[in-house]
Amino acid sequence: MKTPLVFLLLAVATLTAHAQTVPPAGPAAITASSGRCGVCHPAERVQFEKSRHAPEGVRCVSCHGGNDRSLDAGAAHGAGFRGRPARQDIPALCATCHSDEGRMRPYNLPVDQYALYQTSGHGQRLARGDRQVAVCSDCHGAHEILAPHDPASSVNQLNIPQTCGRCHGSRAMPGAREHQDVLKKYQSSVHARALFEQGNLRAPTCVSCHGVHGANPPNVGDVDKVCGQCHTAERRYYTSGGHAVARGGRRPECASCHEAHGVQAARPERLASSCAVCHAGDARRLDLGRRLWTEYRTAAAEVDKAAALVAKADAIPIQTEDYHARIEEAHTYLREALPAAHSVQPEVVAGFTTRARAVGEEVQKELEGKFANLRQHRYVLIAFWFYVLLTLFVLKRFRDQAARNR
Amino acid sequence: MNAPGRQGPPARGGWVDWLEQRVNLSEIFSFITHFGLVYTPVDTQKPVREVLREVAAEPVPRYAHGARVLGLLAAILFGLQIVTGVLLAYYYRPTPEAAFESTRTIVRDLPGGWFIHQVHAWGSWLLVAVIVLRLLRLFWEGLYRAPREVLWWCAVAMTWVVIQSDFTGRLLTWDSHTYWSTVRGLEVVWAIPIAGPILAFLLGGRTVNADVLIRFYVLHVMVLPAFYAAFLYLTFATLRRVGLSQTGPARDERPIRYREHLYSMTMLTVGLFAILVTLATLLPLRFHGAADPYVTPGGVRPPWYMLAPYVLLQRLPLPWLSGFVMLAAAFAVLLLPLWLRRDETPGRRLRIRLAGAAVLLVWLVLSVLGALLERR
Repeated sequence: MKTPLVFLLLAVATLTAHAQTVPPAGPAAITASSGRCGVCHPAERVQFEKSRHAPEGVRCVSCHGGNDRSLDAGAAHGAGFRGRPARQDIPALCATCHSDEGRMRPYNLPVDQYALYQTSGHGQRLARGDRQVAVCSDCHGAHEILAPHDPASSVNQLNIPQTCGRCHGSRAMPGAREHQDVLKKYQSSVHARALFEQGNLRAPTCVSCHGVHGANPPNVGDVDKVCGQCHTAERRYYTSGGHAVARGGRRPECASCHEAHGVQAARPERLASSCAVCHAGDARRLDLGRRLWTEYRTAAAEVDKAAALVAKADAIPIQTEDYHARIEEAHTYLREALPAAHSVQPEVVAGFTTRARAVGEEVQKELEGKFANLRQHRYVLIAFWFYVLLTLFVLKRFRDQAARNR
Repeated sequence: MNAPGRQGPPARGGWVDWLEQRVNLSEIFSFITHFGLVYTPVDTQKPVREVLREVAAEPVPRYAHGARVLGLLAAILFGLQIVTGVLLAYYYRPTPEAAFESTRTIVRDLPGGWFIHQVHAWGSWLLVAVIVLRLLRLFWEGLYRAPREVLWWCAVAMTWVVIQSDFTGRLLTWDSHTYWSTVRGLEVVWAIPIAGPILAFLLGGRTVNADVLIRFYVLHVMVLPAFYAAFLYLTFATLRRVGLSQTGPARDERPIRYREHLYSMTMLTVGLFAILVTLATLLPLRFHGAADPYVTPGGVRPPWYMLAPYVLLQRLPLPWLSGFVMLAAAFAVLLLPLWLRRDETPGRRLRIRLAGAAVLLVWLVLSVLGALLERR
């Protein structure tokens, strides 16, 4: 009687076991997000599987339409198939997801890229029917879109200059001949050296000044605002000075002296020479530049001399902690004097250089006094030798006397 | 039951006699003379006045004269180093954090501290120079031959002790230049076969850190001075057996009274002190900032007496060769009396002198090369 029951139990157990081998449906199932499109489009499939989109449920059909479950080309490219999106349609296509707050919220991504793009030079030209301008895929790629923090991404901080330079550094780009060497200029700049040689990821690239999705050249009168994002002190003095006043729709801006893309490290001695770029025939203004430089140079020389004396005093050593602090103070004034020079007002610069020079001279004077005190040891030494010789003479007399009494 | 103090001439009263009746002053004086001053035994049974009178009248060779003065200078300098060293130790703190700071406090903030420090620093320089020159003088005069072998060994040992005192002392300031100079010197020492690794082990590794500093400090202020005093004692014990050397021209050999010799020694002391004061005032040794074990300043050389093995270490293909050369030189100097002990003909003596001069010349050339060496 027991045998059929055992068989029944075995049968149930086998069925249950078989049921467990069927892959469960749900998020744990790893399936190719490219669906069956990859059968005919293997290259695109490989690129897409690497992208940031693939693991997030974006599929080929999300952009291209059609049916990714069919292996029949006719059915797959059937109803709703979009094919290769036209360039002018791409921004709107991407925006269907990326401007959707509901979809972007879980990723904490902004949704204003499309709106920004429409304000950009690229977006406005596109709206006017220029098909050559950059759309989303020109910078981000089409299938292999990577996150910006991925070093391989074309929009990673370190790759942005090359990405922008693909168009803006090329001769193929029409109507921008004066900007053909813009990439080369940037690569020679102090900003690029900070980024690539010193690995300073906060150093500016193209997008830091021109904007990211809303990319545009800064307007006249806006350059100082752009540079002033980082160079706040320079901007403060620049806007308070004479150069900030527009004359005839133009005014000298940061780039007038420092260049726009090939910005070089600021050298104080250029205070003397930069004015000649615009004021070549104007002796009064040229002299003003030379005065700025002279103010700075004489103060810096006094501070350097004082610092050398402090180093000499350290080697003796005499007490210098206080002087170290004062040299540091003088260096702070000197550092402030260079931004102050952007006001092109010698009296503003002198406010700092005079203080720096005063501190330098004061330290020099006090240390020279201490050195003079030390030199007085030498006079004591003369007196000391006088007594030494006297003692030796007396001792010799005693010795001779002892020799005579022998 | 006659007390020793009552055997002498009638008492003149005063504190000397008062003390004489309670303490054997001659014994104390005798103890002191074991470390210098007097070259003959002292009769501790006689009262101290009589002992002093006898000592003062003792005939001695004219010793504060010519190259013989070197031994006296070494003794005086050693005394000065002890006095200044003890004063420095009052304020010095032997840790990497405090060593440079405390040295700077001594030199910069304490009244007269710079003077004590500079005299100690220049004194060490002079002491090394004097003790090396004395060894050369003993070699030149042939004073290693029987029965003076022990004196020669003492001289060699004292040279080693003085050089090691200088080497351990220069690290103590923890100044960046002397620190790296010590590191360069230790590289030479560690290259010595067998002994080098053992020394590195005893020092606590090949990094010059707090362990090395405290060990150097103990060596510098306790062990090495104790050894120096022991060899000084041995030197005078030997001198009392074999007597002072009689090597000068005949007119110098006419003995003088000890009283005259004492005046000469006092004059030497005054002169030496004056020279030290002048050097310390006009050419004070400079500070370069606290040492950083991770930053090597450029142009650092080992101490001058290690330049020759250093250049060998830097330029020979096998690093242990330089250590071997140094070890061989040390043993050759030490064992010199063993194979030159017999009296020799003047010709042979000349050959020995020339051989020594040739070795010295090679050493000097190597030292100059070491001073000009660009480190690889």
